[in-house]
Amino acid sequence: MRTRAILGSILASASVLIVGYQAGVSVTTSDGKSLSLPVGSTTNGTTGTTTPSSAPSSGTTTEAPVVSGPSNGTYTGSSIRTRFGNVQVSVTITSGSITEVTALQLTDADGRSVQISNRAAPILRSEVLASQSAQVSNVSGATYTTQAYLTSVQSALDLAGA
Amino acid sequence: MTTHTTARPVTAQPHVSAAAADYRREFSRRARRSDLLVMALWASGAAAAALFLASGGAGQFTSLTETITSVGIIGGLIGTDFILVMLVLAARIPLIDKTIGHDRAIAVHRSLGKPALYLLLGHGALLLIGYGMATGINPIAEIGPMLALPDMPLAFIGLGLLIAVVVSSVVAVRRRFSYEGWHLIHLLSYVAVAFALPHQLSVGGVLSEGTAQRIYWIALYVLAIGAIVTFRMVEPIVSSLRHGLRVSAVTAIAPGVTTIQFSGRALRELGASGGQFFIWRFWTGRTWWHSHPLSLSAMPTNTSARITVRALGEGSEQLGTLPVGTRVSIEGPYGLFSTAARTSPKLAIIAAGIGVTPVRALLEHATFAPGDATILLRASTPEETYHWDEIRAIAAAKGAACYVMVGHRPAHTSSWMSATDVDRGVTLAAVFPDLADSDVFLCGPTPWLDLVEADVRHAGIRPHQIHAERFDW
Repeated sequence: MRTRAILGSILASASVLIVGYQAGVSVTTSDGKSLSLPVGSTTNGTTGTTTPSSAPSSGTTTEAPVVSGPSNGTYTGSSIRTRFGNVQVSVTITSGSITEVTALQLTDADGRSVQISNRAAPILRSEVLASQSAQVSNVSGATYTTQAYLTSVQSALDLAGA
Repeated sequence: MTTHTTARPVTAQPHVSAAAADYRREFSRRARRSDLLVMALWASGAAAAALFLASGGAGQFTSLTETITSVGIIGGLIGTDFILVMLVLAARIPLIDKTIGHDRAIAVHRSLGKPALYLLLGHGALLLIGYGMATGINPIAEIGPMLALPDMPLAFIGLGLLIAVVVSSVVAVRRRFSYEGWHLIHLLSYVAVAFALPHQLSVGGVLSEGTAQRIYWIALYVLAIGAIVTFRMVEPIVSSLRHGLRVSAVTAIAPGVTTIQFSGRALRELGASGGQFFIWRFWTGRTWWHSHPLSLSAMPTNTSARITVRALGEGSEQLGTLPVGTRVSIEGPYGLFSTAARTSPKLAIIAAGIGVTPVRALLEHATFAPGDATILLRASTPEETYHWDEIRAIAAAKGAACYVMVGHRPAHTSSWMSATDVDRGVTLAAVFPDLADSDVFLCGPTPWLDLVEADVRHAGIRPHQIHAERFDW
């Protein structure tokens, strides 16, 4: 009886763990794509071409982008899905340069994520303003937020025709 | 001594009586349920971890920081799972009591206490390290930002309470408290569970909408809290009101030993088996705060029941002077020291001192063919032979052999018998020739019972045939 209980326990626990792990791996790989793909991959200003299922809101205040350079206005970037919540920013362009980045939504799946994104957002904003691009370094401890934030910035810049 | 005791496999007998087949079938059903419970326990721990992995955790092992954080989270989830399983085990759910008995349920509950605490302490420590590494500060400095998270101060208090609960239950520490004092501290575990819950929702996000984790944890919390509320609160109150027990007679039968008789309504519907116990509470000004786990010392009739109490502690001393008419509330019946635990048609019963009480009811309730039951009654002195006359009468009426053994144990040996009988060469096998295919019921004080049980095991009796009820406190 005891051996049956022990073997059964091992079998049940192991299969539960394996199923959980498999399910988890398939979720994260599809998530991973949504993060790594878009940065700078497309430049044809229509959409931010991100994979996430939630239909990305493309530019709201767009006049059709002028080919020559970024035009003035506020451009809303794609909403990027992460496992800690969606991230979306808008970028304001004045006379060809980025003058403001506003976080419309930040990772907020749980209290810890809110804390992390609140810490990371001001850093990312000032770095984007300083570098005038989405090519800024990672905020440590806020990798998901950073990647999603910069992806959204890039998609907004794409819209602006930068 | 071992000559008679080569364990004959029961299945090898050519003619198996219908009764024997019934007991065997009932036993294998119970063993199967018991094994399933064990599997459920371990699988629930695994499920806690698996659900975290499934909801994205599997991808969070890419760096050392992430790995430490993820392991910390898994530790917390499994620890919480164990705490909830402990609540389930302590809830006295009838199915669990019928399957493994109250004693074993509590033994498993106890054995989970320290692992659960260590897992939760590890959870706290690893997350301080992991979060600290993520922001580049040391784990101690991370306590500040951690406490700034919503609901975290409560979680820290909850962990502190849990430490108090576990420490107060460590055997050495527990002895310093009265049962009531210890129980009061133990109730803090409910507060600890309640305090830990908010941070699991807000910081941990285990209940975030649309995840499998959400379904699992809600189900587990509902099961644990629901079982406690149902079987430890509602059911006892309803049952106490329904049966309306009152003390009808209190009789001293020996120095310090009292029988208490009760009157009540529809007592058969309690479904008590001979040998089971109830937790009794006597509603007088002096005794209401103390509950007593005591076995029935006779099978209840539809309107009356009886227990026999020996004054062992401060609480039970006062029971000898209970006024007639005292209201009594009950929880139970509990325990597998009853006919429900039988695996064979034959019975071998050994009881010592006040341990005769459940045995007296068990013998009265049990069905067996004449000659299939043997009882050995044991006492240190002739004054401790409580209810022996009643047991002898039942044994004579039902065709059971009844032996008695009076006298102190021999000094400096590990025998559970009296010194005179040891000298005469009495052995277990001599008293119980059919021991190998009997159910062995043992009841008495712990140190004595440990010796008997060792002797019985040494005789090759398998654990599932041994049913022991110990008197601790």
